[in-house]
Amino acid sequence: MSAQLEWITEADHRIKTPVLQVEDLAISYETRKGDVPAVRDVSFDIMRGEAHGIVGESGCGKSTVAFGIVNFLGRNGRIVDGHILFQGQDLVGQAPEELRRIRGDRIAMVYQDPMQALNPSMRLGDQMSEVLIVHRDMEKAAAEEKCVDMLKRVYMADPANVMRRYPHQISGGQQQRVVIAMALLNDPALLIMDEPTTALDVTVEAAVLDLIAELQRVFDTAIMYISHNLGVVARVSTKVGVMYAGEIVERATVREVYLHPFHPYTQGLMRCVPRLGMDKRSSFLYPIPGRVPSPANLPPGCIFEPRCDYARERCRLKKPELRQMEPGHLARCHFAEEVAQMGWEPPEEMLADLATPLEYDREAEPILSISHAKTYYEAPSKQLIGGEKLYVKAVDDVSITVQKGETLGVVGESGCGKSTLVKTIIGMERPSGGEFEFMGVDVSTPVSQRDLSIIQELQMVFQNTDSTLNPSFTVGAQIGRPLRRFNAVPKEQIRGEVVRLLGMMKLGERYYDRLPRQLSGGEKQRVGIARAIAARPELVLCDEPVSSLDVSVQAAVLNLLMEIQAELGTTLIFIAHDLSVVRFFCDHIAVMYLGQIVEFGPSEAIYAPPYHPYTEALLSAVPIPDPSVEQKHIRLSGNVPSALNPPSGCRFRTRCPRLLGEICETEAPPCQHASDEHRIHCHIPMEELRKMEVVITVGD
Amino acid sequence: MLVKDYMTRHPLMAQPTMSIVEAQRFMGENDIRHLPVVGDGKQLLGLVTRQSLLVEPGKLGSLNIWEITGYLTELTVKDVMVKAKEVITIEQDTTIEETARTMVQRKIGCLPVVDDGVVVGIITETDLLAKFMEVMGGNVSGVRVTMRTPNKVGELAKLVNAIAAQGWGIWALGGALLPKDRTKYDVVVKLRHVPKDEVVAALSKVEGQEVVDVREM
Repeated sequence: MSAQLEWITEADHRIKTPVLQVEDLAISYETRKGDVPAVRDVSFDIMRGEAHGIVGESGCGKSTVAFGIVNFLGRNGRIVDGHILFQGQDLVGQAPEELRRIRGDRIAMVYQDPMQALNPSMRLGDQMSEVLIVHRDMEKAAAEEKCVDMLKRVYMADPANVMRRYPHQISGGQQQRVVIAMALLNDPALLIMDEPTTALDVTVEAAVLDLIAELQRVFDTAIMYISHNLGVVARVSTKVGVMYAGEIVERATVREVYLHPFHPYTQGLMRCVPRLGMDKRSSFLYPIPGRVPSPANLPPGCIFEPRCDYARERCRLKKPELRQMEPGHLARCHFAEEVAQMGWEPPEEMLADLATPLEYDREAEPILSISHAKTYYEAPSKQLIGGEKLYVKAVDDVSITVQKGETLGVVGESGCGKSTLVKTIIGMERPSGGEFEFMGVDVSTPVSQRDLSIIQELQMVFQNTDSTLNPSFTVGAQIGRPLRRFNAVPKEQIRGEVVRLLGMMKLGERYYDRLPRQLSGGEKQRVGIARAIAARPELVLCDEPVSSLDVSVQAAVLNLLMEIQAELGTTLIFIAHDLSVVRFFCDHIAVMYLGQIVEFGPSEAIYAPPYHPYTEALLSAVPIPDPSVEQKHIRLSGNVPSALNPPSGCRFRTRCPRLLGEICETEAPPCQHASDEHRIHCHIPMEELRKMEVVITVGD
Repeated sequence: MLVKDYMTRHPLMAQPTMSIVEAQRFMGENDIRHLPVVGDGKQLLGLVTRQSLLVEPGKLGSLNIWEITGYLTELTVKDVMVKAKEVITIEQDTTIEETARTMVQRKIGCLPVVDDGVVVGIITETDLLAKFMEVMGGNVSGVRVTMRTPNKVGELAKLVNAIAAQGWGIWALGGALLPKDRTKYDVVVKLRHVPKDEVVAALSKVEGQEVVDVREM
């Protein structure tokens, strides 16, 4: 047989001009203290139909690059150097009128928060068709027809009906679909997406990511995808650029970057995120020490040098260039070859800081036991007079026990009642029924009626640190307050104790007199944790404490929580939506759906068959930052039904991909025990559940 | 096989105000021969081809180099383009053979694809030739056989059956009447992963048909 002909694809004769070519871009913001170079020396290109990811921690200039492309830099921002070639034409230096036309017709942008991108006072149909009416002079009827078509393409159920609704009348995932549909109406050559799924649940996120991948194929649209989440970028992009402090430090295909990173920063990022399957007893998370330098105050040599484990004299003196390490793989490091060769050993001071996780006594009496807990919110009746009272059943018949010193993870989509459960335990919501026993004391009373000693033993860490720290009190005063309230230490020792706590949080005494606004996100969360543990509580409830933090900060906070637990023997209840974090951090996991626990068990048991069908779907949706991992493809359709009127029988049946039949509709699922500690609420017989395939398989 | 599947989406386009010096450079740098000119909302205003950029010497007032330069700098794409109403366009849902016919009849190499006056893509003779190559299996290696059959119903079925009887699959197939003998029909078949001799042996037994050409490529 003759030699194989070169496989010529139809794309081979097409134009080779990249859709977007950014060359040596530098963007500065003018401030009173002079120009701040937010982005420097950034170059990358995106070919037609390609998805290019940009990852990096917050404040490293990802969004500034995007804003530079669409000229949204604001009054004080400007492009000081470089070129942005869009379809062969330079956007830098074009007349504003030309720019407006090119950008309006051929570039579209999708932002993080769909609610902010949509006008709350206009019907969705009106705001969508406006795009076509204004840009294309279309007739209203024709424009609306086109909008309905586009909504169908993004798999919006009942599009004609959605057109008549207002933004608040549809869910977050649907809003994001509307925004994406709107962005595609003009058939853009380039679609810039700035963290489009960050505000969404994992299941919705997975569906939106699938949609993006499909649209990219069908419409041949080039996509620039900005995210801080390594897993999400790995799922959608073909190539990825890693940004650090305003520069691209590494750029290659997704596989290369994830499996063979050259730059110390990229390697550091990989060590910060728990891989699914890792747990705290077998491995560690290694945060990157220090923090991103402010663009106004950059180190003279390599920008990563102050945080780099491999830094040498040359790194301090000379700024490295972005060099080609292998064909198509660029890195900005003087010693990249060596760094990639050398194995990484954690420095000694870091090892000394890493605590061995607490081994709790599995036989001890439970510290918290809840049985048949119910928290209902009364909803206004639909009738004016009389009528039945309606209840939103936020938590409905939940039973859990927590052992002293263990960590219980609670996972589930938003609106499943995780936070309500925690708020009921701590007494911020009054339970509608059930028994709550904490250290042998009944705690079904609201916090105002509780004994001070009980309040002291139960503390909470919140997700949003900005709204939980008082902006006008100093850090010292805020951490000192519980000490004063609970008389935990004599008055004259309070300052000393606060300083000790600050030390434990790795913050130091100089933070004592600072105000919250002078702290970074991670530091604020540390203060929040210090405040919660100040009075030495037995149980700390953490409501998504790391969700809003960058990966390297997240690793540091998780390590800190582990250390506190090992030192004080604190019991933790940990709410999170990131399943790899929960797997890593928790001993037991409760999976909640619509106010009920559908699966409960030791964390390793949750991640392997038998699964509850809902857990299976959740696992299949987690974005994993490892291209060698294979995941089963299961997508849940529809939204979480309203807790006002939950489905009869099994609550998950309306979305269940493994629906059995009538029995799911008529009867509440029985509790089946896979092992002593592992229980699943499902009609599917245990033998069938055991036969399920593993959702996540780690490749070579 | 419709235009929308084979056209180039998001073609490079120009604004009417682009100078022809710039347009010349733009087309050269990006190696394109056709440049649609669009206004607001990607409405097609015209088309610039290499011919449009050829400035007739007769139009020049003088051959003074300074005047030529001045004349050229003032010329924009709008002045030289083929105006939209004279540009032959095509819709997305047209079949590719119809597209080819339009190109052949009008002797043109490129058709902007429009939807309601808005440019959604461009399809050129190269796109069609690339497709033709695929239809004939020109992008894969295998055995290419030309069978000469009588021009009547049932002959192709006979050939296909003979191939199927061997358990082979057909990768690509195309055919046309002989230019000089309308009673004969040539069918070209591309088969993959089969030895050439076996193909000849099997197909020469097909009654009434003749193997006129076999090659491995």
